[in-house]
Amino acid sequence: MAIPLVPKLLRAHLAALAENDERHDGRSRWEARDTELEIGVLPRAEGSAKVRIGNTIVYAGVKFQVMTPYPDRPNQGGLMCSAEVRPVAGPNWEPGPPSPESIELGRVVDRGIRESGCIDVDDLCIIPGEKVWQVILDLFAISDDGNLFDAFALAGVAAMRTAVIPEKRFEIGAEDRPLNISKTPIMCSYQKVGGRFVYDADGKEELGGDERIHITLGDDGHVHSLQKGLRGIFTEDEFAEIMEQAQSRCKDLREMVNKAEEAG
Amino acid sequence: MGGYGDVQMLDENGLRMDGRKPADLRPISIETGVVPVADGSASIRWGTNHVVAAVYGPMECHPRKIQRQDRAVLDVRYNMAPFSTTDRMRPGFNRRSREVSKVTADALESVVLLEMYPRCKVRVEIEILCAEAGTRCVGLTAASVALAHAGIPMTDMVVSVASGKIHDVVVCDLNKEEDNYGEADLPMGILPNSGELVFLQMDGDLSPDEFKQAWDYNMEAATAIHEIMVEALKGGDS
Repeated sequence: MAIPLVPKLLRAHLAALAENDERHDGRSRWEARDTELEIGVLPRAEGSAKVRIGNTIVYAGVKFQVMTPYPDRPNQGGLMCSAEVRPVAGPNWEPGPPSPESIELGRVVDRGIRESGCIDVDDLCIIPGEKVWQVILDLFAISDDGNLFDAFALAGVAAMRTAVIPEKRFEIGAEDRPLNISKTPIMCSYQKVGGRFVYDADGKEELGGDERIHITLGDDGHVHSLQKGLRGIFTEDEFAEIMEQAQSRCKDLREMVNKAEEAG
Repeated sequence: MGGYGDVQMLDENGLRMDGRKPADLRPISIETGVVPVADGSASIRWGTNHVVAAVYGPMECHPRKIQRQDRAVLDVRYNMAPFSTTDRMRPGFNRRSREVSKVTADALESVVLLEMYPRCKVRVEIEILCAEAGTRCVGLTAASVALAHAGIPMTDMVVSVASGKIHDVVVCDLNKEEDNYGEADLPMGILPNSGELVFLQMDGDLSPDEFKQAWDYNMEAATAIHEIMVEALKGGDS
């Protein structure tokens, strides 16, 4: 991603708003933009979802491949999660090999899903020591107006929950079967804007903001991944505050995934 | 263009596997403004193809070495998303996507009034989210709508469509099975207002008569597709 000039005027504007506990688009501190989730939107993928958060739009698609298991885990399948932010998504995203920003995106989402233990990796074994399923989750942004992390994580877990293992096409089983996803890890991201953390920063707030913190929580409220990104310093109290916010917001988003799956 | 083996491509009534007559197009719908952060954008659903095109610019031209003193540079990228095909597509450019990007740029450069923006760049991004058959045609058509949506001056929009041959019968707008098992494919980029061409490829085997029929099908289809493009631009918000 090209490094945009840090707009001092924008920073000053956001800081002035923060003094009155306001945001540039009129939202309150912990308020999300309008969020929509659609599932089953990509007919060639074995599981898919589209998420729109304000003007940020992403897709997630699940594909399967047969792979040789790792020697130390002969009965376990694999998960690969990669994020691509191609130049279609905004004027500052450039073509070429994956940027550090998009690699971070993919890896943070990957950890949240992997560490929650939502995938039964033993269920992905075909022939022990020889053949196992590899689940590939591809995250793809078409419009970046901030907070790609939450959009990718939400689309990713929704796509996984609806995925079907193509056993018939690979001539492994007589019928396709659903991918067994036992939990729904949800990510909430907070960015420091004008000296205090806000939820769901948009493109302008990302541009004129400081450090960000990403929290992934499981169904039982357990923490599965954390990431602090960008330059900035935060305190224990600040972290405790956003953790409390994340606990309640994650429940709402998990409900959104449940509803989308029931409706789909 | 593989052999068709046991696959029955046309039934006793001359209808195709998906129920179309030889001259029929797959269902097409176009929407504008699908990439809110772009200067112009469009998505096309064409059969099960789903393609998004976004336009950025005119903007400063980087790197400087590709800058032109007398006109703008058109930077066109065609890319297939990893989940767009039956077997996962590895991310990154390959020889095919580079060629399609180039011929798409060649087509669009023929209609965009590049001389109006010297030393600038216009970026055209074509992303295939779901591929059926004829993605280069859908991509070129989507890019034309996105350019118009961005307000980039053009002499005309390019309408792109392919006809081909299955079981010795010439048909319009091949679907996935027909493309896999068919015997010829003739994609064209047509300027609907003048009937001129800016893009032409062909592979397979066509007699002169079959070629004429495929050409005529494409020309007829272009008029119909152009109407859908214009409607999408009329109805679309910015």
